Amino acid sequence: MASAIEIRDLTKSYGDVRALDGVDLDVPEGSFFGLLGPNGAGKTTFINILVGLVRKTGGEASVFGYDVEDDYREARDRIGLAPQEFNVDRFFPIREVLEHKAGYHGIPHDEARERADDVLKRVGIYDKRDTRFDWLSGGMKRRFMLARALITDPDLLILDEPTAGVDVQLRHELWETIVDLNDSGTTILLTTHYIEEAERLCDEVAILDSGSVIEVASPEELMDRGTDDIVVQLRDPPTAVPDFAADDDRVEAVELDGTRLVVTAQQGGLVAPDVVQALDRQGHEIVDLEISRTSLEEVFVEMTRQGEGRATAEVEQ
Amino acid sequence: MSLTSLDVTGFYALLRREVLRFVRRPRNTFVPPFITNVLYFSVFGVILGERINEIAGVPYILFILPGLIVLGAVSNAFENASFSIFHGRWNRYIEEALTSPLSYTSMVGAYVLSSATRGVLVGALVALIGAFFTSVGVAQPFYLVAFVLVITLLFAGLGVVGGLWADDFDDLTMMNQFILRPLVFFGGVFYSLNEIPATFQQASLLNPMIYMVNGVRYGFLGVTEVDPNLSLGVLTALTLGVVSLNVVLFRRGYGLTD
Repeated sequence: MASAIEIRDLTKSYGDVRALDGVDLDVPEGSFFGLLGPNGAGKTTFINILVGLVRKTGGEASVFGYDVEDDYREARDRIGLAPQEFNVDRFFPIREVLEHKAGYHGIPHDEARERADDVLKRVGIYDKRDTRFDWLSGGMKRRFMLARALITDPDLLILDEPTAGVDVQLRHELWETIVDLNDSGTTILLTTHYIEEAERLCDEVAILDSGSVIEVASPEELMDRGTDDIVVQLRDPPTAVPDFAADDDRVEAVELDGTRLVVTAQQGGLVAPDVVQALDRQGHEIVDLEISRTSLEEVFVEMTRQGEGRATAEVEQ
Repeated sequence: MSLTSLDVTGFYALLRREVLRFVRRPRNTFVPPFITNVLYFSVFGVILGERINEIAGVPYILFILPGLIVLGAVSNAFENASFSIFHGRWNRYIEEALTSPLSYTSMVGAYVLSSATRGVLVGALVALIGAFFTSVGVAQPFYLVAFVLVITLLFAGLGVVGGLWADDFDDLTMMNQFILRPLVFFGGVFYSLNEIPATFQQASLLNPMIYMVNGVRYGFLGVTEVDPNLSLGVLTALTLGVVSLNVVLFRRGYGLTD
C-alpha cells in the first residue's frame, strides 16, 4: 500500500536538545494511525515538520510523495491539521475564519461559504457561526478545531490531542466523526494521551519516546505482548499453589490468596481453558472466573519506562 | 486545481482578510489619525501657521500638508503590517496561512498590499482634512500617485520585517516611537531644509523621509528641495529590495518557524 507519510532518518535539534533522533516511519494511505508517547517525546515536533511550522535538521519527510520542504505547497494542500494548542484568528466570527482558511487553499469564496456551513453543521456548532472563537465554550472550541481541519477536505487529517479536555459525550461524538472520515478514505494521524482512544480507533500505532520510534504495531499486537491476569475464585482453598508454569511457557506467575488464585500469563484468553481443566482434574470447584486483559496503556507505560532506563544508562555512561 | 489558480484565489483570500481586519475596526485604524491630523492642522497650520512666513512662496499650512500626508500614510502602512504579523505570531493564528499551500510570495504580497492600502486610505483622509483648512491643488498628479504608492509599499514592507522581528509588544512600540517618529519629524514635515544650518541640512539628506516628503510635496505644490526623479528611483529600488527581503524571510521562516 502507498504511504501517506514517509519519513526517513528525520532529525530535529534545538541547540543541544535532540527533539527527533533519526525517526523512520511509514503511515499507509487510508490508515488510522496513532502516534503515542509521553510529554516531550517529539510528537508535536513531528507533526509541525509535516505542516511547515518546524524546520527539520536532517532526514526526509514527504506527504503523498511530496517533500514537505521542496514541494511544500502540494504537501500542505493535502493536509488538514487540528493542533493541540488553539491557533485561531480572533478577529473574525468562526464562519469567516473557515472561509479564509478555505480561500488560502484555493477554494473560491462562494464554495468556501458553503463548505464552512457544511462543516459547522457536521461538528454541531452551526448556530454559533457568527460568534468569535474566544466566546465559544471549551467543547465548542475543540469542535471548531476539527471543522477547520475539515474545511479543505484533506487527504490526510492530523489530529494532535483532539479530545484533550472534552467530556465523555463529546469525545464519543468526535470519535464517530473521525471514524466516518477514515471509512471514507481519509488517512488519519492521531496523537493522544488517552490510550483508550488509540486502542479503540487506530489500525496501527507508533510509540515515540525521547525523539525515537521504539515500536510500530497494531494495538492488538502490542497488547499481546503484555500479560493478562486470569483470576479464579475457588470454593475451597488449595493446599498448595498449582504449578501451571511448568506445563506452559506462557504462564509467568501464579499467586494464591486463600480461595483466590491469580495466574499471570501472556495470551490469557488461550491459557484460561487449560487452567480451568487442570483445576478441574485436581478436583477444585470453580466459583468464578475473570480474565483481566492487559491494556495498551500498560504496554505503553512499560515500553516508555524501558526507554527511561535506556536514557538514564546513556547519561550515566 | 493548478497551483497558479490556487495561488490567485489564496492571495485574494489573505488580502481580503487583511483589509477587512482594519476596515472593520475604524476606531483603531481611522479615528486616531483623523483626530491627530485635525489637531495638527488646527495648531500648526492655523494657530502657529499664521505667524510663520510663507515657505518657497507657499503658506505654511499648505507647506506642511504633504508632510502630514506622508506621516499618516507611512506610519499606518508600517503599523498595519507589523501589528498584523506580530499579533498573528503572538496568538499563533498566522499558522492558518503558514500551513496552507499559499506561496511565500503570495503571503508577502497580501500583507504588503493590504498595509499599503491602509496607508493610502489614511493619506487620503489626511488630504481630506487638509482640504477643510486650506485650498489644496495637485500640481504633479503622476508624481503624487507614484510617491504615495511607493512610500506606502516601502513602509508596509518594513512593517513586515518589524512584525517578524518583534518579540513582544514593546518592540512594536519601540520601532514606532524611537525609529519611525524621529525620522518623520526630522524629515522636513514641519520645516524647510533651507531654514536649518548647512551641517544639519547635509545630515538630513541621509534621512530617507526627506525624499518622501519632498516627493509628495512636489506632487501637490510643484516645489521640491530635492530631485523628484532621483528620489522616486531610489525609493522604488529600496521598496523592491525590502519586499524581496520579506519573501526571503518568509521562505526561511524567520520569526515564523522553529
